[in-house]
Amino acid sequence: MSDRIKLLIVDDEVRFLDAIARRLEMRDFDVTTATNGPDALEAAKKARFDLALLDLKMPGMNGREVLEALKREHRFLEVVILTGHGSLDSAVECTRLGAFGYLPKPYEFDRLLEVLRDAYEHRLRTKFAHDEERMNQLTDLAMGSSPLGLLRRMRELDDGEK
Amino acid sequence: MTTAGISRAPHVAADSPTRVDPPQVGYRHLWRVTLVRLLLTYLAPLLLLSVVVHLQYRHLAAESTRRHLMSVADNQARTVDLFLRERVVNLVNLVDDPRIGGRPTEATTAELLARLQRDSSTFVDLGFFDADGTMTSYAGPFPTLLGRDYSGEGWFVRLLAAEDRFVVTDLYLGFRQAPHFTIAVRGAKADGPAMVRATVDPERFSRYITGLEQSRDVRSVLVNTAGSYQTVDLPPALSALDAPLVPPRDPRLAAGELETRIGTIAYASCWLDLTDWALIVVWTGSDDVTLFGGYNVSLLAASAAVILAVFSTIVIRARHVVRQQKEQDTVRRELSGQLHHAARLASVGELAAGVAHEINNPLAVIAEETGLLQDLMDPELGQSLEEAELREHLDAIQSAVFRARDITQKLLSFVRRGEIQLARQDLNELVDEVIGLLEREMTVSNIEVERCFAESMPPVLCDRVQIEQVLVNLVTNAVDAMPEGGRLTLATSADGDSVSVAVADTGIGIAPEHMERIFMPFHTTKEVGRGTGLGLSVSYGIVRGYGGRILVESAIGVGSTFTVVLPLEPVGDGPTERGVAA
Repeated sequence: MSDRIKLLIVDDEVRFLDAIARRLEMRDFDVTTATNGPDALEAAKKARFDLALLDLKMPGMNGREVLEALKREHRFLEVVILTGHGSLDSAVECTRLGAFGYLPKPYEFDRLLEVLRDAYEHRLRTKFAHDEERMNQLTDLAMGSSPLGLLRRMRELDDGEK
Repeated sequence: MTTAGISRAPHVAADSPTRVDPPQVGYRHLWRVTLVRLLLTYLAPLLLLSVVVHLQYRHLAAESTRRHLMSVADNQARTVDLFLRERVVNLVNLVDDPRIGGRPTEATTAELLARLQRDSSTFVDLGFFDADGTMTSYAGPFPTLLGRDYSGEGWFVRLLAAEDRFVVTDLYLGFRQAPHFTIAVRGAKADGPAMVRATVDPERFSRYITGLEQSRDVRSVLVNTAGSYQTVDLPPALSALDAPLVPPRDPRLAAGELETRIGTIAYASCWLDLTDWALIVVWTGSDDVTLFGGYNVSLLAASAAVILAVFSTIVIRARHVVRQQKEQDTVRRELSGQLHHAARLASVGELAAGVAHEINNPLAVIAEETGLLQDLMDPELGQSLEEAELREHLDAIQSAVFRARDITQKLLSFVRRGEIQLARQDLNELVDEVIGLLEREMTVSNIEVERCFAESMPPVLCDRVQIEQVLVNLVTNAVDAMPEGGRLTLATSADGDSVSVAVADTGIGIAPEHMERIFMPFHTTKEVGRGTGLGLSVSYGIVRGYGGRILVESAIGVGSTFTVVLPLEPVGDGPTERGVAA
């Protein structure tokens, strides 16, 4: 029985947070939200998240610090940076610090799903780096299905190991 | 006025050295000033030199003429002396001739006269006299003189007494009633002393004198001690004299000037040896060479031409200077305008980057809310949508839209080019508005905002947008100085006829070596691509336009305080067009 993909979204814009959480929940994501860095780290300790969406500019602890902390404590957690700030320099720097990628706000929803899919695939590859069999299985997964379908199947694959 | 606890670090009331002030002098004034300066520098010395040379030249020329005249006078005097001496000798030879007795015959006398006339054509007649003064023999054009008694005549009397056995008379009329000279010689004969006299024709004598004149530029005359001229045909200079010229005996050779009715004439004089006559040589030349008191036309003309040339050069140069100044001012104003324009463009970029976040967030909200509504209506996802919830989402979208609009309006208001609109503003209000604009930026950057407003602020006459630009610039700089967060203090105060706003941060501070240059255009300590360094220079320009100042206090590691001081009403030339915040 596969659980849903656990996703952590961190953003200080509440309205935005609720909407995106709702939409992703409709698509079988298990979403937890946090409006600031400390809350996000707290939540990440309590549950093992697969993916995280992180807003860069937040009051208090900024996105970069949250990223560093998350990557330090959860090796296989892939983080996607959301940047409404328009400053690509800091986003690129975050990629250097371990984020999987970045998306400018506002973005197309489909693009978000694609990035989440790619991030999850990266997570599996990292996780199964020493497991050849799983790696082959991963590669065999049919391409061309929707990101969601692929995500579900990758999740099944992932289930074998936590 | 609080300074947010910043210690008194070495500070500078920074003055921008590149500020371009509009010309204080009008171009007419500049033209006049340049002209006068150039004239004094170049023309005045030239005129002075010209005058000095002129005077020197006149002096030298006059001196030269003097010497020339004196030389002529000397030579001619010698010659006349010699001439007279020769005439005397002629007679002496005659009287001493042993073949000639004391009473020669008419024929002999005529022959002797002829001989004399061969010596000199100036001899007119010849007469012999006995001891009583009676003319005993005569040859010449006045035969009636024969037998006349000359014992009373001056020359006869003098002759009898003369040591040198000869006498030369002045010009006189005598018995013949015609002007003539007499040369008389006393001799000793077997039958008593013999007196011989010959008369000299003054005209011929004058012609002889005239013949001595070495150039046509002099005229010579002879005058005796009583002032009677011994020659005929006076030069106009002497005939124009009221009183005859009798030079002093000492020095024998002298020169001088005559003030006559026809002008000042140069002359030289020399007293003769043989007689009591003075030879006067008068300058009658034309004015090729300068006379005393005359003017050298060609020299003046040359000087005038040179002076005119220099003067016109100066005028042209002055015009050139003024024209160049005008061009430079135009160029400078253009460049200044371009600079402002560039600053505007650059600061739009900066401001835009700063508030892009502000706009993107509402847009993200709209995107998600509308996406959510689409999801809720999507049959595949199997959700339901109630009216109440629908309204909620639509409201959220609306407020996000207006949030975005407010921000773009604020951005546009800084970009809009327009005329200055002066109105009485409350500085506290302006500061509040600026804080509001950048509030989100500041909370996100962990900056605590502290307001220390004066209770009652007198209204300041200024353009709202311009002053807001300056405040946005200062606040943005303060925020940038505190990347890890800190405290921003905004304090306002009023002081007599001015008000001030202090923007204090607890940021990295400004190094003393940068202090002097912070208001210069393009000075920035931000990394490449982040700041253009134009903001403070434009802000400074705006504040100065109102007659105000921007003061800086800063200490490294502690923080900085920028204080804008504005007069209640614009002082000086006043603000120019609107620029853009940086």
